Amino acid sequence: MRTVTLLAVCALALAAATTAAARTSATITVYAAASLTDVFPQIDATPKYSFGGSNTLAAQIQLGAPADVFASANTTLPQQLFQKGLCSQPVVFTRNTLVLIVPTSNPAGIHSVYDLTKSGIKLDVAAPAVPVGSYTRQILKNMALTSVLSNVVSNETDVREVLAKVALGEADAGFVYSTDAKTVPGKVTVLTMPAWAQPKVQYGICVVKTSSNAAAAQAFVNAVMSKAGQAKLLAAGFLPRVKPKPAK
Amino acid sequence: MRRALLAGLVFAACFVALAFLALPIVAIFTHVSPGRLAAQLANPVVTDALVVSLKTTLVAQALILTVGTPAAYVLASRRFRGRSALVTLVELPLVLPPAVAGIGLLAAFGRFGLLHTGIPFTQTAVTLAVAFVASPLYMRQAIAAFEEVDPNLVAASRTLGAGPVKTFFRVVLPLARGGLAAGEALAFARGLGEFGATIMFAGSLRGVTQTLPLAVYAEFDVNFDVALAVSALLVLVSAALLLTIKLVLQWQPSRRTSRSRFALSTSS
Repeated sequence: MRTVTLLAVCALALAAATTAAARTSATITVYAAASLTDVFPQIDATPKYSFGGSNTLAAQIQLGAPADVFASANTTLPQQLFQKGLCSQPVVFTRNTLVLIVPTSNPAGIHSVYDLTKSGIKLDVAAPAVPVGSYTRQILKNMALTSVLSNVVSNETDVREVLAKVALGEADAGFVYSTDAKTVPGKVTVLTMPAWAQPKVQYGICVVKTSSNAAAAQAFVNAVMSKAGQAKLLAAGFLPRVKPKPAK
Repeated sequence: MRRALLAGLVFAACFVALAFLALPIVAIFTHVSPGRLAAQLANPVVTDALVVSLKTTLVAQALILTVGTPAAYVLASRRFRGRSALVTLVELPLVLPPAVAGIGLLAAFGRFGLLHTGIPFTQTAVTLAVAFVASPLYMRQAIAAFEEVDPNLVAASRTLGAGPVKTFFRVVLPLARGGLAAGEALAFARGLGEFGATIMFAGSLRGVTQTLPLAVYAEFDVNFDVALAVSALLVLVSAALLLTIKLVLQWQPSRRTSRSRFALSTSS
């Protein structure tokens, strides 16, 4: 008899646990590129966030991760998910630029991207599969500087790892978004890259198809696209989602 | 009736526990066909990572054995103030999160760390990370093994004219070898699986610092099959090491020189 009671208690506890889990899913989960770590909670502090390399997040979503929204540092990854029927048609919600950063102490004496050709420099970049890693290789290709990749000491898993290792002074230089450099003022010196060499850095956002709360997920996307959301992105240094037409 | 129900519950719990532990490991091998899995092992990413892993793990183990063995012997055979504090210090990396180990290594050996070295991002950094997280497993086991050596046998050896070095190699080491080998196998397995401290302290660069576990992480979103293949390889190696430990512990030749036969006449 006592065992039966015990079993009943166990069953009740299990039921309580599952309903609790179901209830918490009212707050949505947003999978977002690491570069959005600081700005997204400013736009909406309520969702649960998982920040990381967009490629890692996309792979997790493909394996069934409980994401409601996917915000990627490129448009290719959400587009791939859309084509596989895993998320809604992605929209571009912001843009960014690539910069070269060096520690404020600048131990390797790097004053321009061309100094990266010096041998023995510790250049930190993101892995090619990470959006910023792919942009890094594009910009170097555009400037005919791919040879500097021989100075790469590590292929990081997301942009913030590159930022951390340069800000710490362990790496001599690294490629990040201009918005990342702004989050560690005083720790890194920013060397801007020429506009003509810049790759097209567009951020795509979509609602994940398996979302149990698609309405709230869409509301989050709307908040990001809204005037207020865009203002927060601009304040953090991101670029307007549509490139302004050059004034004649 | 109630007893039968209880027995049923116990068996159910046993089944759940075993199934839970076995399932992810079985899944690694069944997710894709064995042929495809084996084919991925020829992938240069895998072979490069294997070389890096073997090189760094072997160097780290050599360091652990040559430095850790005498250190463990001193800690095991001497009684002094603060000894237990030192033993705890040796064990600490064992329970530290690997990320903390990585931060600690950066703070110690980083360019702006305590020692101002240029070690981060090099293969030496991988070796240090492996040695830091793996050595406590060996040291702990070695201290226990040395403590089990009957001090009377050591004393007898010394009174019969053998010097401390000869006594150590001819008496102490053979008596403790079972425990030492088991500790070493555990440390080897832990070193081979090291991830967190390595990625923070040494980074991840193919052919230089990308070990097998780092390759699993790097390939996870690039080529899932490769990640699976490397995982399968690590499962097999770890299982082999674990089996070795079991066999070594069963075969303990030192047990024949039983403590009681000598200890009774002298110490009691």
